[in-house]
Amino acid sequence: MADDVAQKVIATLASVKRIPADGIKLDTNLQELGIDSLDVFTLLFELENAFKISIPDDDVRSIRTVNDIVEGIKKLLAAAPATPPPDAPASPAAPAV
Amino acid sequence: MAPRKVAITGLGIISPLGLNLAENWESLREGRPAIGPMKDINDLELLRFQNAAQVRGYDPLKHFEGGKEAYIDRFAQFSIVAAREALKDSGLELTPEMREQGAIVCGSAVGGQSAIEMGFEDLWRSGRGRVHPLTIPKTMANAGASHISMDLGLSGPAYTVSTACSSANHAIGQAFRMVRDGQAEMAVTGGSEAMFTIGMLKAWEAMRVIAPDTCRPFSKDRRGMILGEGGAMMILEPMDAAKARGAKVYAEICGFGMTSDAHHLTQPAMHGPSRAMKGALREAGLAPEEIGYINAHGTGTPGNDPVETAAIRDVFGAHANSLAVSSTKSLHGHALGAAGALEAIATILALRNGILPPTANYNEPDPECDLDYVPNKPRAKQVSAALSNSFAFGGLNAVVAFRTV
Repeated sequence: MADDVAQKVIATLASVKRIPADGIKLDTNLQELGIDSLDVFTLLFELENAFKISIPDDDVRSIRTVNDIVEGIKKLLAAAPATPPPDAPASPAAPAV
Repeated sequence: MAPRKVAITGLGIISPLGLNLAENWESLREGRPAIGPMKDINDLELLRFQNAAQVRGYDPLKHFEGGKEAYIDRFAQFSIVAAREALKDSGLELTPEMREQGAIVCGSAVGGQSAIEMGFEDLWRSGRGRVHPLTIPKTMANAGASHISMDLGLSGPAYTVSTACSSANHAIGQAFRMVRDGQAEMAVTGGSEAMFTIGMLKAWEAMRVIAPDTCRPFSKDRRGMILGEGGAMMILEPMDAAKARGAKVYAEICGFGMTSDAHHLTQPAMHGPSRAMKGALREAGLAPEEIGYINAHGTGTPGNDPVETAAIRDVFGAHANSLAVSSTKSLHGHALGAAGALEAIATILALRNGILPPTANYNEPDPECDLDYVPNKPRAKQVSAALSNSFAFGGLNAVVAFRTV
């Protein structure tokens, strides 16, 4: 049984891709759902809004399955302050170059 | 009329590398990047990335009188500043015929972003309920071409090409063909862009293609592009006319190739860029072996650089191993619709001076990017012909060919 975070991720995925949620499982590979790079940008944008988090670019590259997203969001939620501003920077400013 | 050879007789540029041609060449020939923490932009704390390549030390009041600067968006100011310098540099005395037939073709991807965003601020954040009355003519993407027309007194064909990151190369290619085919006796062409507003920066952030550190084209540890801004213009004339008046000729612009990928909105494909390079070579009458240098599109994104490398290998075969390829975006950032113009000037000056600007910030070879990228240090090398590549979101590719005279 999927937990709350997983349910929300699956519902968001279904909404972005206009597909039924019941076909999406935790171990579903995003490629199987026909998700391309534009869908990923859109999905992350919706998830940032839904969970009020900011997902760093570096966390995105390793995403393969639905569960990768769910686990990533859980980590961000655990690390986040109680009421994060929606657009808080995810990492300290880069050094001057 | 038989096709004419086309000479580049004047250059003008304002970019993160400098406020004029001399300053730009000094930075290019020394391989000195102009990338650092952003300044003078509202709400920067809202951003995940902090670095960019901005034009520094530019004072509009040194270029515009009587409050005119308030009527012209920064991107159009850059186009005027660059066009004035290019015309002066060319030494061309505009005859009445030239004034009537002189062409202007400019590139800009996003036009007057500062103007439109200031309007939104007034409307929604400040709650003023009204916006500046010149918001429309400041925002329009053709403002650069229109202001050059008024400023220099040129009344021939003038327009702006907007093809995202290929805009300037498409513009330069169009102007080249107009002069070559006898539709214009001179042309001002290039591109300008000034998109550092928090709205645009947030939009780029959401695309997840901006590097948090710096631009490292073709290096294995590259993490994305660095945004830039600026304007660059050149004066084109028929070669015979330029020589007849004893003009200094920087180089010949000799070929242009353009294609589209018919593939994806943001992901590059190999065949579109490859066909564009082949088209530019064909039109220039250049054999692939004659090209010694390519100023690459080289954005520093994980996606672009291997695809561009594969396209270069597809066009040049074994000769790809003898080519020098560099991305000057590692120095001046990605100036979007002005990128091709900034890079055309880098390419032309490399041809003229026998010094190839480097790919800066290069750390580590990538098996998928296996060409000679002139890493980190400029190289003294005289080449006789060069290409300048621009490939846009939306899969629109434009390549310009140059050769020494």
